[in-house]
Parts: sequence; C-alpha cells; structure tokens
Amino acid sequence: MSAAPATASDEPGAGGPPPPVLRAPVQPTAPPPSALPSTAGRVEPPPGAARTETTGGWDPAERRARASQSFWTAVVGVPAIFSVLRLGIEAGGELQTTLLLVANVGPVNLLAGFLTTAARLLSTVLVAVFALGGVLAASGHRLTRRPLFARWMEITPGWFVAASFLMALVTWPLLYLPLLLPTVAAAFQLRPERLHERPALRVLIVVAAYAGYLWLLVPTLRDAGRQGELLPIVLLVVPPLLALFVAGPLPRVVIQPLAPVTQLAVLVVLVWAALPVISTPVLPLTVTTVGEPGVTSAEATEEIRGHVVTTDDVNMVILQERGGVRYVPVDQVRGQVLCPSEEELPRYRLRIHDFHVEDSLLEGLGRRVRPVHRVDAACR
Amino acid sequence: MAVSLSSSRWRAAATTAAVALTLLLGAAAGCDSQKEPELPSVQEKLRESHIWGQPVLRIGVADDEPLMGEIRDGNHIGFDVEIARYIAASLGYEGEHRLEFVAVSTEDRIPALQGGVVDLVVSSFSITEERKKLVSFAGPYFVTTQEVLVPTRHKDTIRTIEDLRNPKYRICTSGGSTTEAELEKNQVRTLVVKDVWDCVKGIRAGKYDAVSSDETILAGFLARYPTEFEIVDMPFGTSELLGVGVPIGDPALRDLVAYFLDKSYQQGRSGEASPWLTAYNRTLGPWLRGEKRQPQPLDVPRLVDFDDKAPQR
Repeated sequence: MSAAPATASDEPGAGGPPPPVLRAPVQPTAPPPSALPSTAGRVEPPPGAARTETTGGWDPAERRARASQSFWTAVVGVPAIFSVLRLGIEAGGELQTTLLLVANVGPVNLLAGFLTTAARLLSTVLVAVFALGGVLAASGHRLTRRPLFARWMEITPGWFVAASFLMALVTWPLLYLPLLLPTVAAAFQLRPERLHERPALRVLIVVAAYAGYLWLLVPTLRDAGRQGELLPIVLLVVPPLLALFVAGPLPRVVIQPLAPVTQLAVLVVLVWAALPVISTPVLPLTVTTVGEPGVTSAEATEEIRGHVVTTDDVNMVILQERGGVRYVPVDQVRGQVLCPSEEELPRYRLRIHDFHVEDSLLEGLGRRVRPVHRVDAACR
Repeated sequence: MAVSLSSSRWRAAATTAAVALTLLLGAAAGCDSQKEPELPSVQEKLRESHIWGQPVLRIGVADDEPLMGEIRDGNHIGFDVEIARYIAASLGYEGEHRLEFVAVSTEDRIPALQGGVVDLVVSSFSITEERKKLVSFAGPYFVTTQEVLVPTRHKDTIRTIEDLRNPKYRICTSGGSTTEAELEKNQVRTLVVKDVWDCVKGIRAGKYDAVSSDETILAGFLARYPTEFEIVDMPFGTSELLGVGVPIGDPALRDLVAYFLDKSYQQGRSGEASPWLTAYNRTLGPWLRGEKRQPQPLDVPRLVDFDDKAPQR
C-alpha cells in the first residue's frame, strides 16, 4: 500500500505530465553497475534514461534499510528523549527534584504518560509527513533529487501509514477531523475518479456524501454562525471539498519550493508544538488538604496544590505546582482531590451532536461513559 | 490535444490551490489549537474577585426566618442557607470550616455588604432599583409575592387590602423591607419593627393584628405555628425577585454568582435534579401553595469552566 504506485497505475491517461516515478522493484540479482554500495558521489544517469531509485548511488535494498532504520530510530527515540526531557521540566529545572522524579516514575509510566499527552502531536506530525510525502512523491519525478518526505512515504509500510491516520482519527479534536480527508487523499493519492467510472455518477456520489455531511453539521454551523466564529465554519466546511482536488502531480514551479519549505515547516512546527507537550505534567494534578489531626478551623488546614510523587508509610511527597517538594507526614493528610488544569479549558462553545468540538472521538466517548464530572471545590 | 493540455493545466492549478489551502487550513488549525480561550473563565473571574485567596467565605443570612434562614441545634438551615452553601461550594468554599454564616437582620443587609462584614448576602433580599444603587445583585433565584399572615382569630375579618386600611387593625412589618414601601403605597398604616419575627411574637402577644411580608417568610412562620396562623392571598400586584447581594465594587463576584445560579437553572431545565430544586424540596416546597420553579437569572455572563465539555443530554 503506497502512494506512488497507486497514482502511477490508476491514472494512466490522467493528463499530460509524465507518470510519476514507480517505486523501483528490488532486483538483488542484477544491480546496475552504477548502484554499487559506495557512498561517494552520485552517478548521474545518462540523458534520457529512466531515473529510478537505483541511480542514487546505493543498492536500493541497502538504501531502503538505512532509511527504514533512521525512520524507526526517530519514531522510537524521539518519544524516549522527550519523556526524559519532560522530567527535567516537571522538576522545575532542579537537579535533585529531577532525580527524585527519576527514582519514582517508572519508565513504563513515563512512556504511557507521554503517549497519552503527545499522541495528538505524534499523529499530527506523522499525518503531515505522509500527506506531504504523498504529494511530493506524486510530483517528485520533476525534481533532480527525490524529497525526503517522499522517500519516507515510500519506505514506510502501508499499515504504519494507515495506523497513523487511525491514531489521528481518534485523538484529533473533532473540529480538525475534516482536515484528515484532504490529508488521506494526498497521502494515498486518492482521486474522485476512483469512486466510479462514469462522471455523472461520480458527481452524484460526491454531492450526496457532501450534502449528508453538511446535514450532520447544520446545528453546529448554525451555532458557530450565531456566535460569529468563522474559523470553525471554514474548518468544517472546506476540507472535504479540498480532498477532491488535492491528489495529483503539482507543476514543477510549485514543487521546487514546496518540498524544502514544507519539510522545514514541519520540523519548525514539531519544535513549536513540542514545547507545550514537553511542559505538560507527567503526574496528575491534585489538591491535598493537610492539617494537624483533630483541628478543624480553616486557618489550621492548608491546601497543597501539586503532583503526588510517591507515598510511603511516613510521608507523602508532593511536588508543588508553584515549585518545590513537600514531605507531608501521612497522618496529617486530611483529604485529596484530583483537579483539572487550566489548559483543559475549552475555547469554543460548539458541539457536534453533543460532542464538544474540542474533544477527540476518544475523549467524547469517554465523557459518554462517565458523563458527570464535578470540579471539586478544593480545585478552585 | 489542446483540450487535454488545458484540462491538465486546470487540474494542476486545482491541485496546487487545494494543496496550498490544505496547508493554510492546517496552519490555521495549529495556531488555533495553541490559542488561549477568548471567553473569560471561572478561574479568571475568581482571581479578579475580592474573595481570591480568602480562607473563609462569609455569607450574610437570616437567623430568624423559618424555612428561609434559621438556626436549629446550632446549625444554619433553610432555603437561603442551602442556596448559599451551593454558591459557596461552587466558588471553592465547601465544608463548615471554609464557610462562615453571619446573621444579618433585614435592615443590616446593605450596611453589612458595604462595610465588608460579609462577602455575600443570601437573605430574602428583594432586587429593587433603589437597592441596586447601593449593592449589586445576582439572580433572581426566587420569585415571591407579598402576602399577609393573620392569626386565626382574624381569618374571617382581614381578607382584603381595604381591611388592612381599617385603623382598628394594627399591621406590622419589618423595617427596610420592600413590603413597608408597598404597604405605604397602598395607604396602609404600618407599625415597623426590626424583623418579621418581632411581628409574629407581637401578634401572639396580642400587640398586632396582622403581619405582611414575602410569601416565603410567612410560610416559614406558618410552618412553625400551623394552627395559630393563616396566610391571606392579597392582590398586592408586584412580585418580589429575590437575589443574592454582592458588594457593588466586585462585579467579578456578581458574575460568578450569576453564572452558578444559571448553571443550576440550566440543570433544572434539562430535567436533572438541580441544587435549587433540592434546596426547595427540602425546605419551602411542602409549605408553599402552587408549584414553583427556579426563575431564569438575569445578566448571566458567558464564562468557560472545566465541565463545559461534559455531555448535555
């Protein structure tokens, strides 16, 4: 399952441009003489010769293995490094506090906590890479060197691409979900021609599907209009239309600047979006009420807002929200409640059939299983 | 050939536009997701209000109005008290150690708010234009009418406003109340005392012949002495809107109280057991004639809170 072959094979007469480069069939038995595993300069193909991946200077199998290795190193390594970096930030930059966290937060918890908070970012980056990779691969033949994302797209197994889109489907806020349509169309180079051979029926299918989609969103769009929120309307209405046109080769004049600019942009966005994720706490936020046993006045009790690092027979160790670690004797702990953080506050008052637009499908379903969430008074 | 070329050009242009727009929308979505909420949040309003950081919330309530606000076995109970507890818990003050009820008489409600003795007043406080110049109101949380409570000895003789005007009857009411002004408007001569409770004690001692006040307050005394009194329904015309009194210099706190009263109202509308309904059923409900519902609070601000994403159905 890959983008390039689909485009090439499905669109034999789609237009004037020459067919995109086919994924080079691996021919271990007969490598061309120019494909020796030398890392020295590339050997330019003779003029007029069909350019394949073998012209890159490496054996395609080795090249694929190396690209695959770097890809998987990034997929596994980045979360691991991020997780450790987060501990340092969570500890407020204090070495001793970081060490306290390292000693008490297990690697599995850390990774699970990271995935919970960063799944959205990870899937966004992967979707962006694969969508751009699909677009660039479809037009890559017009460039002297195949763009990085196009190569990544080609070496990534189809199931992984599909899994990335599925992860985006369940973790993205509903408001941004329509953007998945053009990105899927771009990644897999899906054109409306695939729907049906006859253009009239194709138009009918597209119009019926779009009308059904809009009918589903009418109450939300009406609310957004009433509240004067333009961006949600655009984000809900426009992307499905873009999905119809997004697949296909781009003109050379566009593709040349597009490849480096978008690749750089994805990296910049990754760093920019990663900062809030790195600073998202690893441990849940709680408010612990502490006071001398037997005393009930408000002045005699204290509420500590922070993250519980560990509890043993003697102390409860709390990393305070404003910084610093408190060791509270367990017999002084009067109560403890779980609190939401202000980052969870919604920005819109829009719902799609009672699902809040800023909830992902997973969160929305979760709220239906446990619908009542009361904010405890101590959290205020 | 020419047609094919132009079609392919059109296609390439459409693809370029679609890719560019998708990138643009993606960027817009990315920026949007990092944006701070535009609407003020409950937490922000709390930080703006004068109660922020205060360990204890002081609420002015009545201590001598059965069913609305009274002390029994050392505990404050009544409809107003229950509403006060709900508002306090919503503002982050839950539990007896975080909440201090201050007994305020009818005429002391405004001075107590102005002087900072209490942070809020929930004590059968009618919303009027005159009072709005001195304190802020959130609500209404109850709509009541003015009625007259008569001892059973007069239940057949005092039936109309005309009867109240009869100089042989001594009509009592509490000072600084809206009832006092309403009776004056109807040319009823009144004997003004500090609290309605004083009127009731006076009637039982034979000093007065009737007491006029809010239906809620009178229902409380009827509940206490069901065989001695009767409520007479008189067409005083105006209805009383009871609101929560807030210092005039703290609009953030007023907004918060209005927001939480509205939250209860919305819960009631959607058929859930709202805090208001629970308070009403536990106190006033069994003693009032006719069905009552929580009135819609006025001037409710649009705020965001943590539970805004919860399903509404």
